[in-house]
Amino acid sequence: MNQNLFTSFMTPVMLGIPIITLIIMFPTILFPAPTRLINNRTISIQQWLTKFRSKQLMITHNSKGQTWSLLLVSLILFITSTNLLGMLPHSFTPTTQLSMNMGMAVPLWAGTVIMGFRNKTKASLAHFLPQGTPTFLIPMLVIIETISLLIQPVALAVRLTANITAGHLLMHLIGMATLALMSISLFTAFITFIILTLLTILEFAVALIQAYVFTLLVSLYLHDNT
Amino acid sequence: MPQLDTSTWFLTILSVMLTLFTLLQPKISMHLYTPNPKPMPTKTQKQHSPWNTAWTKIYLPLL
Repeated sequence: MNQNLFTSFMTPVMLGIPIITLIIMFPTILFPAPTRLINNRTISIQQWLTKFRSKQLMITHNSKGQTWSLLLVSLILFITSTNLLGMLPHSFTPTTQLSMNMGMAVPLWAGTVIMGFRNKTKASLAHFLPQGTPTFLIPMLVIIETISLLIQPVALAVRLTANITAGHLLMHLIGMATLALMSISLFTAFITFIILTLLTILEFAVALIQAYVFTLLVSLYLHDNT
Repeated sequence: MPQLDTSTWFLTILSVMLTLFTLLQPKISMHLYTPNPKPMPTKTQKQHSPWNTAWTKIYLPLL
């Protein structure tokens, strides 16, 4: 039972060749590059969405922070499309892999912190001590703030992984329960099916929201450090 | 948990870096956002031509 549930999260290998690279690269096919002056509807809609999202995301930053806008917009596009494609039955969601999320979270967070240290050393070090603390609390508070800073990338990665994995697992479990209940009592199976439908709607929302949250937090760390 | 099996981590991280940086970003950067057209001012500015202010030898061709 245990083995059965978790096998969908193993990195997919087909005939001995790991195809995870192809699966990660697949969502980029869904965003065609604009080649003409007036594009088709698909590209126009994507262009409008990108502009809308990037304005909303980058309006709080100064010109130095706005150099990150291309990276953040492509990040949110990548995470949203990967999460939504994972909702298809029997598909593999790369964002359930902790490796991928750490690979996204740690370099981005480290980039914002290093940028803050290089450009505004005093201001970024001042973040370790909130204003108005009593003098005898200072050593302890510096330790606490350092730990809370160092835990930011881990929290980013684990948040995304855990949310998507938990949602997929829950859907598997409730689906198996509905199937098993169908032979016992049809009414209970129907109730469980309603729960499954509601959960699917929730999962769609979670897919979108998680992408949003990830990018928003990176943007927040950037704002602190520019 | 199969996510903690670190043998595949290198390949996954490498392919994510590759996708995010070399595939997606050029595609997004090709979106052109032209600014709204602004009306040009019809009165052109007065040109300051430096050759009118100083009297030079060419005005007196006999010398």
